[in-house]
Amino acid sequence: MINLTAGRDIVHRWDGNPLVSISDLSFRCSDIHNAGIAKLNGDVMMLLNIESLQGHNLFYRARSRDCINFTVDPKPFMAPPTSGPRAIYETFGIRDPRITPLDGKYYITYVADSELGMRLGLACTKDFQDVEFLGYVSQPDVKNGVLFPQKIDGRYALLKRPAGGNLWMSFSEDLDFWGDEQVIMTTRGGYWDASRIGAAAVPIEIDQGWLLLYYGAKDTSAGPLVRLGAAILDREDPSKVIARSDIPILSPREKYERVGDIPNMVFSCGAIVRDEEVWVYYGASDSCICLGTARIDEITEFCLACAVVQDYMHSMEDK
Amino acid sequence: MAIRHGIDLLQRWRRNPILTLEDIPYRCNTVFNGTPVKVKDTYYLIIRIEGQQGYSFFALAHSGDGLHFEVEPTPCMMPSKHEPWKTWEENGIEDPRLTVIDGKYYIMYTAVSGHGHYIALAQTEDFHSYERIAIISEPGNKDGVLFPEKINGLYTRLDRPYGKGVGSMWVSYSPDLKHWGKSELVCAPRPRFWDQFRIGASAPPILTDHGWLEIYHGVKMTSAGPIYRIGTIMLGLENPARVVGRCVEPLLSPRTDYERVGDVGNVCFACGAIVEEDNTVKIYYGAADTSICVAMTTMNDLVESCLECTDEKTCVGGTHF
Repeated sequence: MINLTAGRDIVHRWDGNPLVSISDLSFRCSDIHNAGIAKLNGDVMMLLNIESLQGHNLFYRARSRDCINFTVDPKPFMAPPTSGPRAIYETFGIRDPRITPLDGKYYITYVADSELGMRLGLACTKDFQDVEFLGYVSQPDVKNGVLFPQKIDGRYALLKRPAGGNLWMSFSEDLDFWGDEQVIMTTRGGYWDASRIGAAAVPIEIDQGWLLLYYGAKDTSAGPLVRLGAAILDREDPSKVIARSDIPILSPREKYERVGDIPNMVFSCGAIVRDEEVWVYYGASDSCICLGTARIDEITEFCLACAVVQDYMHSMEDK
Repeated sequence: MAIRHGIDLLQRWRRNPILTLEDIPYRCNTVFNGTPVKVKDTYYLIIRIEGQQGYSFFALAHSGDGLHFEVEPTPCMMPSKHEPWKTWEENGIEDPRLTVIDGKYYIMYTAVSGHGHYIALAQTEDFHSYERIAIISEPGNKDGVLFPEKINGLYTRLDRPYGKGVGSMWVSYSPDLKHWGKSELVCAPRPRFWDQFRIGASAPPILTDHGWLEIYHGVKMTSAGPIYRIGTIMLGLENPARVVGRCVEPLLSPRTDYERVGDVGNVCFACGAIVEEDNTVKIYYGAADTSICVAMTTMNDLVESCLECTDEKTCVGGTHF
């Protein structure tokens, strides 16, 4: 089923893309933006960010046995509250779920969207049946919150993208109070990730540290081009970037990536590891969910090779 | 010709401004936004100076009466030369706010780098050496003020994050001054009001019988740029996210030449106040981003002003709530 040779990018598209599109749903909606993903007892669970026809965003659950064929629930899994203290922060909806398995639970980081701006919400589930809201872990405007799947030196670690469009990180002992705010990776002028960058999938532990799939946007006169890249973060201190891909590992090329509500976009909120490969689930054009696969060692070696060239270039600059 | 000053609740001191470029013993661009503290009989004012290079730093002024200040010959706090603070503050440090907790002096200020504005916290014991504690906000945030007491066992601050370009007043809490969270909205700009475009905390909150009195800044945007005015809001004693009352009218609006004319005209921007033993209050404010002024009132008038409006929806502001 997986075609390993097709495609011009490091990530290979699945032949049967898109994986989930509006025609797979049993209800009307505006579009499917993206999806978080996690393994659960041999199944794969997906949380789809779906925009209703009214224009609000909410999450639906989908389940698969084979990582390819997904059945989407007819009812939402998480929806913005209409009353209570949370309501004012989620009037426009909830977006971009990332699912982090940690301590026997699944933490869901998402964007709460309202007229007050966008801030990061944190929820938790053990079984993908019941979900508990834990609190907000940022002020506005912050998007793309991704929790590490392990504590780092005894503390929870969160990647995020605040105003300014760079990748930041903060730490917490209790998930309530966050500190050690720092920028760890910035946009690169003239590159494909010149305008904005942010974490995409939950970091994957590899021999060299953490493999981070991130997205990079480059603004054009017709709007942004959103692509996927990769970086390797230090295992003990993930605020240190060891290596970073010079070029995207996936770029919008297929029609379903070029044409949609937000064209020219591949945007991932989650990936799973299957044997030697990473299976990247990504939203294409904010309109459907697709699958791309890559060998983990190929992405890793590519990032490290880029680092060697970057080091050489920097050494030349110094001379 | 005499200018009538009786039109605002706050009374400008007749010899405003109290500090201008002429009072700084070295060459600089402007002096504005000073934060005061009174220690025994001495008033200290940490002031923001913008150098001719274009970035800002802090200097210390002192006074025996809170009106006539002398500026020390050298700056008291410069952008750091040591990493990681060097990067955090590479474009300057701005708008200090001084809070005393248990005899310790904390300065919450805005650090400016290529990554944006964020809130930083430093501490001093003698107003000359400053120990930096932490960067305590995400970028896209300004106007942090620390409460002078812990609330429910936690340090508490107000600040002004930008959500979708709209500045509102928020509250956050911390067990240790380094890790912050449980942030929530306090109040937002009020449609159709003088504070319709942007609001933020100005002076560190003052404890009253009615709750925490906060002197804030409200902005109305015009075709010629923003107008910054001074207002008051009363916050719940145990829960400062609850708005008890809010002024209807601004207490001070730019009217005099020194408030109208300067690098950023039409700005009255307070960074602190001193409550005297006789319940008179001196509010220190930057005028037109070019000088420092003082305006006087009483605690009674301040408290009354922020109980002008107690309707919860109007007090909180915003459009959706």
